[in-house]
Amino acid sequence: MGELRRDPIIGQWVIVAGKDDSLKPEDYPKEKHVVEHAAICQFCPGRENQTPPEVDAIRPGGSRANSSGWWSRVIPNKFPALKIEGNLGKRGDGIYDLSNGIGAHEVLIETSDHYKQLADLAPEEIANVIKLAQNRSLSLAKDKRFRYVMIFKNYGESAGASVEHSHSQIIALPMVPKTVVAELEGAKNYFGYRGRCVYCDIIQQEIEDEERIVTQNEHFIAFCPYVPRYPFESWIVPKEHNSRFCLLNDPERFSLASILKETLMRIKIILSDPSYNFYLHVTPLNYKDEETYHWHIEIIPKLSRVTGHEWGTGFYVVHTCASVAAGFLRDASVAVS
Amino acid sequence: MPELRKDPVVGRWVIIATERARRPGNFLDQERTIFDQTSLCPFCDNKDFEIYKLKGDKDGKWKVKVVLNGTTILSTNEKFKRRGDGIYDVINRYGAQEVVIETPKHIANMADLDIKQIKLVIQTYVARFKDLEKDTKLQYIMAYKNYGWAAGSRPIGHSRSQIIATSVNPLRVKEKLIGAKRHYEYRERCIYCDILRQELEYKKRLITQTEHFVAIAPFASRFPFEVLIIPRKHHCDFAEGVIGQEEDFARMLKDILLRFKIGLNDPAYNYVIHTAPFRQKNKGPKWKTIEEDYHWHVEIRSRLARDAGFEKGSGFYICAIPPEDTAEFLREVDL
Repeated sequence: MGELRRDPIIGQWVIVAGKDDSLKPEDYPKEKHVVEHAAICQFCPGRENQTPPEVDAIRPGGSRANSSGWWSRVIPNKFPALKIEGNLGKRGDGIYDLSNGIGAHEVLIETSDHYKQLADLAPEEIANVIKLAQNRSLSLAKDKRFRYVMIFKNYGESAGASVEHSHSQIIALPMVPKTVVAELEGAKNYFGYRGRCVYCDIIQQEIEDEERIVTQNEHFIAFCPYVPRYPFESWIVPKEHNSRFCLLNDPERFSLASILKETLMRIKIILSDPSYNFYLHVTPLNYKDEETYHWHIEIIPKLSRVTGHEWGTGFYVVHTCASVAAGFLRDASVAVS
Repeated sequence: MPELRKDPVVGRWVIIATERARRPGNFLDQERTIFDQTSLCPFCDNKDFEIYKLKGDKDGKWKVKVVLNGTTILSTNEKFKRRGDGIYDVINRYGAQEVVIETPKHIANMADLDIKQIKLVIQTYVARFKDLEKDTKLQYIMAYKNYGWAAGSRPIGHSRSQIIATSVNPLRVKEKLIGAKRHYEYRERCIYCDILRQELEYKKRLITQTEHFVAIAPFASRFPFEVLIIPRKHHCDFAEGVIGQEEDFARMLKDILLRFKIGLNDPAYNYVIHTAPFRQKNKGPKWKTIEEDYHWHVEIRSRLARDAGFEKGSGFYICAIPPEDTAEFLREVDL
């Protein structure tokens, strides 16, 4: 029996199927991923001269920038959505507001191996990818024009990926995105009302309830949120209150790499290698109310199509309830390192 | 230089590509719908529970039919119950989900129905809105359509749309209501009337006009070929405002859907009719100026671009074609 559930952070209502009538993994359409462009891939080693010059890289042997010998590398996007040079030039046009499209748009190539996905990398390698994302966030934070750094990944064609070589993207924005503002405000209201972080409270309840947990380790917990917007949506949240992704230390970074790998592997096994998106929700640059917000990762396997109703209302209909989804993901047999 | 544009109602920023903009003709529905021709159409010979029916004058046969679909989650055959679950709030599945079968004929796209038939669909919406409004537990109602696979529809080539009524106001609707109210408090004018006035003056984002309606490509479009239909006459409520304009509204809807079909090679699309929440239940201090500040309208979105991680995570959108180009392209489609 389905029900309506309200997200405790932003107050969004979602229609969720009941345990008894939830769709199972096999009820969702399958997608095939074809890897076919290795011969012409600009993200592959040896073709560094075909990309814009790199801004950072992990080069264990100390090789020269823009040569081969790297594990992961960050380059400016060749077709950026936003331009790095210039000023914002905020202006009005009648009743409308606009500004120049200033921002940074970078690509983080996660591995030199064209045939590996993020989930296939060793935790040490994923930790390097995270390290690069942290470095870029810290570096972009110094640019006074920017207010927010968004780190995200599109895997697979139906999740919007246009290049098959494993990569994620970093976009620095001159304003805080709306979805993040809603979370920041919701979390701040909750804190004002109860004096506690809403994410800390969620984690506490999830640990008590158990049924929506996918996995956990020393520093992180992965679970299917009580109020998902998409089937098999999974979050990775630091267990202790933490508002600064950029400041993760070595052991925390390794924990994050392990749980990210494990969660992605479970999704891959249970849902037959679906396309997916994930993104980090972190605090805006120079954010004051750090005790109220808690950074986290949201992973969304691409299984369903957004209909007119969801698009028009933001009222999502999810045909697999969170505890059923978590049960499947928990039961996946993965070798945990 | 790309532009950052702000939606004047909800304050959402979008990135409008300019230099990297793709030409309108290069957009293709990548998951082009292939309709199932082999099995029997469940809407031609419908066995679902019938809620409402519009009959023809001459032959007495049904022209438009509203049914309860078996796969829905919401139902009005439930007691309305709220409860808490730790820090979470829950309401049971009270609500209405109905399917409007728009024609007895096996025609896939509403664009191919004649204006008279679309008018009957509009009248059906009005009748269902009026009826569901009587239910004191329902707060909000919406009529919408999913056409084609990428728009979330099953590949059955029979034109239909959906009505959904819920016991709470949905988030995106609230954002619009709050944005419109804020504009009204500040300027004592309706934001949609202001948009209409400015777009009629600028002309560059106009697509087409009829006696009672204007179609534009919105200034801060999120998607390629996004269309906004605004009624010229200010009214917050669709089911009241459209009275007397049903045929003209049908003409406008068909016009836009035909431009999509011809100009963009029959892409998947959604439309959503946005109206004020049921007013007698939403008239408290919160929405007390709703009749003045809100303006019913229709949003139409072709499904030629996919939402990726950036859009999902940020609510920021990257629109790969400026709305001015969308408008020009759709204006010039040869009907």
